[in-house]
Amino acid sequence: MTLAPHRSSGSDAGPAGTEEPTVLSPGVTSRPDGPGAQPWVMGTAVAVAVAGAALGFNGVLRGWAWYSPVFSVVLSVAFSMAVLRSLRARTWLVAAGGLVALIVALTFIFFRQHSIAGFIPSPETMNYLGKFLRRASETVLAESTPVAPNAGIVMLICAVLGLLVILIDALAFPLALPATSGLGILAILVVPAMVKPQSVGVLGFVGAAVGYLLILGCSHWFTPDARTLADTARNPGQLRRGAITAAAALTVTLLLQPVIPGFDQGTFPQGSRLNPFGSATGLNPMISLGTSLRSPSGEGRITFATNAPTTPYLRSVTVDNFDGDSWSPDDRESTRQTGTGRIESGLDTAPTELRVITAVNTGQYTSPYLPAPYAPEAVNGLTGRWSWDPATLSIKGVDTNSRDQQYLVTSVTPQLTAALLARASEPVRGIPEQFLRQPSNVPEVVSSTAKTVTAGAASPYAKAMAIQRYLRSTEFAYSLQSPVQGGYDGNGLSVLADFLNQKSGYCIHFASAMAVMARLEGIPSRIAVGYAPGRPTGATVAVSGQGPLPEFEVDARDAHAWPELYFQGVGWVAFEPTPSRGLVPAYATEASLPSGASTNERNDALTPGDGSTPAPFPVPGTVPAPGAGTPAPGGTQVAQALYGVGAALLLALLVASPRLVRSGVRRRRLRTAARGYPGATAGTALPAWAELRDLATDYGVAPGASETPRHFSERLRASAALGEPDGEDAPGQRAAAALTEDFEREQYGRPGGAGGPAQNADSPDPADSAAARIALVQASLRANAGALVRLRAAWLPPSVISGWRRALPRPRRLLARTAQRTRRGLAGSWGKIRSSVRRVRRG
Amino acid sequence: MDYHRTSVDDILPEGQRLPGRPGLDPNAAGHRSSAPAMDADAFHSASTRILTAINTVIDGKAEAAKLALTVLLAQGHLLLEDVPGVGKTLLAKTLARTIDCSVNRIQFTPDLLPSDVTGVSIYNQATRTFEFRHGAVFANIVIGDEINRASAKTQSALLECMEEHQVTVDGTSYRLDEPFMVVATQNPIEMEGTYPLPEAQRDRFMARISMGYPDRESEMEMLETHQASSPLARVTAVVTAAEVAAMIATVQQVYVSRSIKEYTVAVGRATRESALLRLGASPRSMLQLLRAAKATAALEGRDFVLPDDVVSVAEAVLAHRIILDRKAASAGETPQSVIRAIIAKIPVTPEVTASTNGTGRPGRKQASAMAAAPSPKLPNPR
Repeated sequence: MTLAPHRSSGSDAGPAGTEEPTVLSPGVTSRPDGPGAQPWVMGTAVAVAVAGAALGFNGVLRGWAWYSPVFSVVLSVAFSMAVLRSLRARTWLVAAGGLVALIVALTFIFFRQHSIAGFIPSPETMNYLGKFLRRASETVLAESTPVAPNAGIVMLICAVLGLLVILIDALAFPLALPATSGLGILAILVVPAMVKPQSVGVLGFVGAAVGYLLILGCSHWFTPDARTLADTARNPGQLRRGAITAAAALTVTLLLQPVIPGFDQGTFPQGSRLNPFGSATGLNPMISLGTSLRSPSGEGRITFATNAPTTPYLRSVTVDNFDGDSWSPDDRESTRQTGTGRIESGLDTAPTELRVITAVNTGQYTSPYLPAPYAPEAVNGLTGRWSWDPATLSIKGVDTNSRDQQYLVTSVTPQLTAALLARASEPVRGIPEQFLRQPSNVPEVVSSTAKTVTAGAASPYAKAMAIQRYLRSTEFAYSLQSPVQGGYDGNGLSVLADFLNQKSGYCIHFASAMAVMARLEGIPSRIAVGYAPGRPTGATVAVSGQGPLPEFEVDARDAHAWPELYFQGVGWVAFEPTPSRGLVPAYATEASLPSGASTNERNDALTPGDGSTPAPFPVPGTVPAPGAGTPAPGGTQVAQALYGVGAALLLALLVASPRLVRSGVRRRRLRTAARGYPGATAGTALPAWAELRDLATDYGVAPGASETPRHFSERLRASAALGEPDGEDAPGQRAAAALTEDFEREQYGRPGGAGGPAQNADSPDPADSAAARIALVQASLRANAGALVRLRAAWLPPSVISGWRRALPRPRRLLARTAQRTRRGLAGSWGKIRSSVRRVRRG
Repeated sequence: MDYHRTSVDDILPEGQRLPGRPGLDPNAAGHRSSAPAMDADAFHSASTRILTAINTVIDGKAEAAKLALTVLLAQGHLLLEDVPGVGKTLLAKTLARTIDCSVNRIQFTPDLLPSDVTGVSIYNQATRTFEFRHGAVFANIVIGDEINRASAKTQSALLECMEEHQVTVDGTSYRLDEPFMVVATQNPIEMEGTYPLPEAQRDRFMARISMGYPDRESEMEMLETHQASSPLARVTAVVTAAEVAAMIATVQQVYVSRSIKEYTVAVGRATRESALLRLGASPRSMLQLLRAAKATAALEGRDFVLPDDVVSVAEAVLAHRIILDRKAASAGETPQSVIRAIIAKIPVTPEVTASTNGTGRPGRKQASAMAAAPSPKLPNPR
């Protein structure tokens, strides 16, 4: 009774909860009739679950530095909720307290400098919050895993995990749905499962599983469920049932994994990322390049018709500033000129020029930059306002983008030869400084490689050829995956260094390597981003003044980058250092080597794993077959056969499962019938009777719920299912009657009394056993049933199927019950709030 | 005197005189028969003899006869309700005659007085004391003909006798003989100048039987054989009162399992919850239903009750106690049809359904229910 004043003061204080001073007095929680240890244990369990599941983020974020803020946020939210709960605060107050704790913790960790007293958010905090969120969204958009744990993304993760702690706690505690709280943990695991190539990983899985089991165990410990009472003498086999369930779940998981295609590779191709902000194609072409190349379906299809002798590259934009972490195109808005009717190509006079007309249809391709063959002289038919950059000739929309544009490009292609280029050895003049500027902080490996490769080459052209030769050599492999796995998927000088060490990458790496190395050697360079020559569609397009022209198409998988180098007196010249991609221009082809044939056969370089087959210069005549690796076909065949066998087994199991269930149930019943229940004197007739009922159900004579056993038995014996009463099926009839009699005696008779079945107790005649009787009944049921009924009874026994059908709406009912309970709880707390408000107003 | 105090001599043929009326046993606890139970074979032969004897008199009414015997063995009272001339009184008389016991018949009229039923104390000039003159109710079987013609006062005089098995006059209680059974008849058609039995009194009859018309063959048979003489004259007592008492004791020892009790309770609750009924079955009717079921089981030669036994007597035991809702009555429902519909909806026993899931472990349900009962969460004593 000593507690009474304390309690009344607490309840009088209303929802405000002015019990703060008593928080730390240890006596409150240790009192026997208080909430006891439950809030603390449950809070710990929830914290362990969330923090454990968060271990799976290792690999999404690089390193472990991010874990300590995550851990402290989770811990402080869980702890504050436990404190409130141990003070018997109302349910909604506990959740609100958790939210406040989350905000305070986030402010303290991330915005200590920009808040009031270090933990109270201020308007300045909001500014920084916006900044952090932008940083996080940039990270999500731009980087591929594992990302550097910058403050933005870590803060986002902390906030989400803190919210999940509140959610899981609410599910497990006041709503009393501990099993459902696993959904919250699953939500955490989904992120690494989708983003990381090796899925969640052992650590994250074990952490989440341990936490979930803790939640389940603790909630069961404090509020035991009568249906799942632990092993007792009355209710044995709980542990065994649990073990069987777990084993079955594990088996299904292991079986499903090899059967479902693409299961082990994740839902998303490696290195791709979810883009919640819509399709941001081409804002920074450098970044979207890898994603585009890896996209499994070709999006952003562009068709074009041209009269050029060789299919041209379509160029969108160039990158010329090689400083900084991330390269991006410099738009140079100040020097751009509007209007695309006439574009000054600024080309030096070349001996021969080829004027090319190209009709482009961009379709769904959306980008601020217009793809056009180099070097455009005029673009006609565009809608909206466009501008062009005299320095790079990139065409950019002023107030529009490339979506749904049909336009005609007139371009000039200088006819270059190796000899012409070899003569261009004069030092460059009159070229903007930005194309010449050597990047600062060039990694050692880049400059040393450049020196080594170009040693002995005199002219700029010779140097360029040396670099291209080096990159196209068999040392380098084309691979879309290895940069992702190696963590250098992207651009920048550090990425370049990684690439030169690993010697595996895709076009952006080759192109930037050549551009940077050329600039180190004094050759002006830039990286062009656009599309490699596509495939002919087979159709022709009528272009005015040109007649029908062959049509080509490119899509996201043809996205490409290549270096352009400047030679005095010649102009900008494109090279192709990427093996197995694009077309090597004639002027850049080594005389001693076979000419660069088109290697852009469909997907030859896109099949993952193909990078292992270095084929920079395929021998003409040999068709580079897709999946050219020799050991692969055998392996895939075996794997396919295994999948097939697995699928067939699974199908067989599925078809047989009602039958398996049925025969399992029958075996168990008859076994029980044969030995009786443990600890019971009799009990053989009950399972036998249940089996008789199910047998009859299987053969079309289903017992009614309100039907008495005797009536059912009589109906069964009178029905045609068991045959004529006095015919040759009489044994079946007699057996059914005997089973009924035994059941009635056992179910309704005096327990263990004189009325007990004498023949069972005294004479263990095998012919009188329940199993023998069931067999007799089954035999005569089978004999009297049609073929269809027999088949159904064997493979789709109605007794099993109807049970399953009854179980179907159970989850829905559960959901409805939960909803009702929640509604009631909400109504109750709303009423409480209203009444307390009323009280406050009155008093 | 408007009632016929029929002595046993009037009913029993010559030469069969009853021994002296058994004395009142003040030690008898309740109505429980103190007679020893008989074994199954003896029970079977006795019941067969009684039923055969009745069936020779009344053609084609084996069911009604069996139900009447069931009520007798279950120590209940029987209400026979039907149109005149279908053999209500004949059935009552025949049943009484097959048993070697005392039988009284009361013809109820509006001016019948309660004392005529129970008895009256008369001053004996010779001994100068009051002497109790036994009323018509002092007999093993009392036949109350046209019971609804008596006034409510007289009817209720019978009430105490039926329920308590005793008569209280001038502050003195007199026990009635065992076995004791009231067989009342009632005519539902001619209602003028009658006092219909109130619900309270109807509830004291264990069962109501409507005789119904005999089928064609039975009627032909009746015309053939009963032309010359009354069939009743040929009936002789086939069992003694002591044997009947032993049979009653046997019935009392029939075992009723827990699931049968649950089933009975479920039926009773369903009648009270039914939207078709204004008044459901009383707890007393549950008791009587179970007793009737026990008698049925014994007549079937079993020493335990089956759900079938409950179902077979439910209509006769419950139909006259329930009151239909007006809407249901105008929709053409009858008490019998409602009882049938309720029975058809109630699952026979929870255990039977539970046993279909394969384990069928007895007592599992109770165990889990017991485990669930004590909530570990103590409510906050705010």
